[in-house]
Amino acid sequence: MASGQGAKNNSMAGSQQPSSSSPRFSVKESKGFSHLRQLLLAPEQHELDRLKTRLDQFSLHPKDVGRVLPDAIRLRAQQDTRLLASLIPVTQEALALSIKQSPQLISDSIAPILGSAIRKAIAHAMRGLMQSLNQTLECSMSWRGLQWRWEAFRTGKSFAEVVLLHTLRFRVEQVFLIHKKTGLLLNHVVAEGVSGQGEEVISGMLTAIQDFVCDSFGQSQDEGLESIRIGDLTVWIEQGWGAILAGVIRGAPPMELREVFQETLETIHAQFSELLQAFQGDASSFQETRLQLEDCLQAQFEQKSRGLPWAFWIVLGLLMLGLGMWAFQAHADQQRWAYLLERLDQEPGLVMTSIQEEGTPTIYGLRDPLAINPDQILSDIGYSSQQVVFRLKPFMDLTPEFVQKRAMIQLRPPSSVVGNLEGTTLILKGEAPHSWIQQAHLLGPLLPGVTHIETRQLVDTDLKQFETLKAELESKTITFEVGNSDISLDQRSTIRDIDQTIQALDQTATILGIFPRIQIQGFTSPDGGKEVNQSLSALRAKAVLNELANGSFQAINLRTVGVGSDRLPALSSTGKAVSQERRVAFRVILPPPASVPKSRR
Amino acid sequence: MKGRGVIQKKICMLGGFAVGKTSLVKRFVTAQFSEKYHTTIGVKIDQKSLCVDDTEVHLVLWDMYGEDDFQKVRASYLRGSSGYLLVIDGTRKETLDVARQLRLLASQSMGAVPYVLMINKHDLRESWKVTPEMYKDLASNACLVLQSSAKTGEGVELAFLELAKQMLKI
Repeated sequence: MASGQGAKNNSMAGSQQPSSSSPRFSVKESKGFSHLRQLLLAPEQHELDRLKTRLDQFSLHPKDVGRVLPDAIRLRAQQDTRLLASLIPVTQEALALSIKQSPQLISDSIAPILGSAIRKAIAHAMRGLMQSLNQTLECSMSWRGLQWRWEAFRTGKSFAEVVLLHTLRFRVEQVFLIHKKTGLLLNHVVAEGVSGQGEEVISGMLTAIQDFVCDSFGQSQDEGLESIRIGDLTVWIEQGWGAILAGVIRGAPPMELREVFQETLETIHAQFSELLQAFQGDASSFQETRLQLEDCLQAQFEQKSRGLPWAFWIVLGLLMLGLGMWAFQAHADQQRWAYLLERLDQEPGLVMTSIQEEGTPTIYGLRDPLAINPDQILSDIGYSSQQVVFRLKPFMDLTPEFVQKRAMIQLRPPSSVVGNLEGTTLILKGEAPHSWIQQAHLLGPLLPGVTHIETRQLVDTDLKQFETLKAELESKTITFEVGNSDISLDQRSTIRDIDQTIQALDQTATILGIFPRIQIQGFTSPDGGKEVNQSLSALRAKAVLNELANGSFQAINLRTVGVGSDRLPALSSTGKAVSQERRVAFRVILPPPASVPKSRR
Repeated sequence: MKGRGVIQKKICMLGGFAVGKTSLVKRFVTAQFSEKYHTTIGVKIDQKSLCVDDTEVHLVLWDMYGEDDFQKVRASYLRGSSGYLLVIDGTRKETLDVARQLRLLASQSMGAVPYVLMINKHDLRESWKVTPEMYKDLASNACLVLQSSAKTGEGVELAFLELAKQMLKI
């Protein structure tokens, strides 16, 4: 085996000799010399050849490289970062290629850590986003938001800070994990937007304060401070055997948060019990508590019991208001329409025959010309004449109200006359001229719904005037001197008055259609003889007639009569009374009543 | 929050009344809290970052109220300290006794932790009443003994740096 290898190596060496060995050997080399050399130096030559071959092939031997590679990398990396720099592109390319070739493998490998990390990151981001969005929505344009903007402007704080202060129920701003024995800080987390400062010193001071309180009141270290309150800030302290958890909370935290703190501290104690015991000031191992401490950074903002943003309520409110107004309007319209129909139905002189409500409402029916204008009813109820159309045909309403109304319109009575229909009889009251009463009697039976006109309670003004004039005339006398039938001068004015009265009587009698007779009666005193007095009295009456006859009377007929003396002689009288006896008096005599008006007709 | 490679250490400033502890801390850090804490709860805490051999060290300084007849240092404040600075006023011999008591209290509360002995007010060197002989018992266990001045800043950085180094060695 050894000789075989030697022969092989020898032949290899021999074949390389022209290029690598000295040429003088090849020139002078003989077979004997070569054999001698082989005999003398064979083991050394063999070893030399083996080493040479190995040296030539060393750099290519993966086994050797594999043996030294881990140490080589470590040593080189300690020296500087050049190896790292060299590896970066190779590693990147290798990773890229690996992902390209077998993505499933990479995906499976990183899924356990990546999935959880992504979920946490997304949840955290979404929480922050929702919170920020909610607050922005709620605070941006509301009245409260404007107030807060003003406060932010006034105090120089950021708007976000002011919103936070007002909407915050509580927020854990900082959490300290403190080594109990030394008071040194093991870990510290702060909420987003809160700046932590001097946490190591605060940690020490918290421990010192605890020690101070425990010393002062003789409590054991395990019963240290549980809570410190400074204005709006509360520090809740949870004690463990190896560490203290202190949470700085703004606002009013719920008691459930205590449990969170306690559980966190217990978990940390369970996980880091050995490290807590052996703690010598290197807190790096406690970095792993960060996630647990961050779970304590809880916050709760004002619960909006209304749940929905104010804008929604405004829109909803407006919608409800609109709906309410619409419903109210619809109801009011319906009520109004019903009221209109009821009113039209009750209105005298109007009869509805049909109603068309589609489109512009149209009412068909009948209307007495004396009935109210339906447009007036529309206006009273609040409709315009364009909103409702009437198609009404005229008719005559024979209800008593309309019969009376129509009769009174057609009779055109003076304002002093009122009419009242009882049954079919129109009873007229008041005062009216004789001519109108006559006309009413004529027209009455012609009026629709009226069969009789009753005028007994109606005063005939002309007849009244006649009676007055008659009484006035009959009260007047003309006196004469003794035994004389001449009208003295002082009686002339009386004669003129009497003449005017008779003229007025004549006119009234003409209107009344009567022909009264006026008896001019002459009288004497009882003195003297009867025949003389009879004759004297007749003269006196004629003398007056002659004075009056100048006027022409249409209806009145004048007659004279000599009465003589109308006093018995036995009766004495004063001088004045005696002079009154020598007189002429007047008496108006009416023809029988039945014949008077009829004769005129 | 700190990243990897950051070490926190609690250290205490111990010493008698008016030895200059607070002034030394002020020299060293920019104080954040009011001096009122001293008289109310007896301690004021500050923080300073240092770099020791490429390691970032955050020193949390518990500056105790100077112990006197009226107020004692609370042992509970010392608990968990990794080291302390024991400060003596070079101009007042009586601060040595207070320092001795505090040293005893510290060893009871903290165990065997490194401390730096500072003979302060070196700017008033001519008024010093304290000699190295007087504090040699305190110096024997100290990781560093130095003369300091809060006024000039002498020895301040060095004291904190040395203490930090010693604390990291444990």
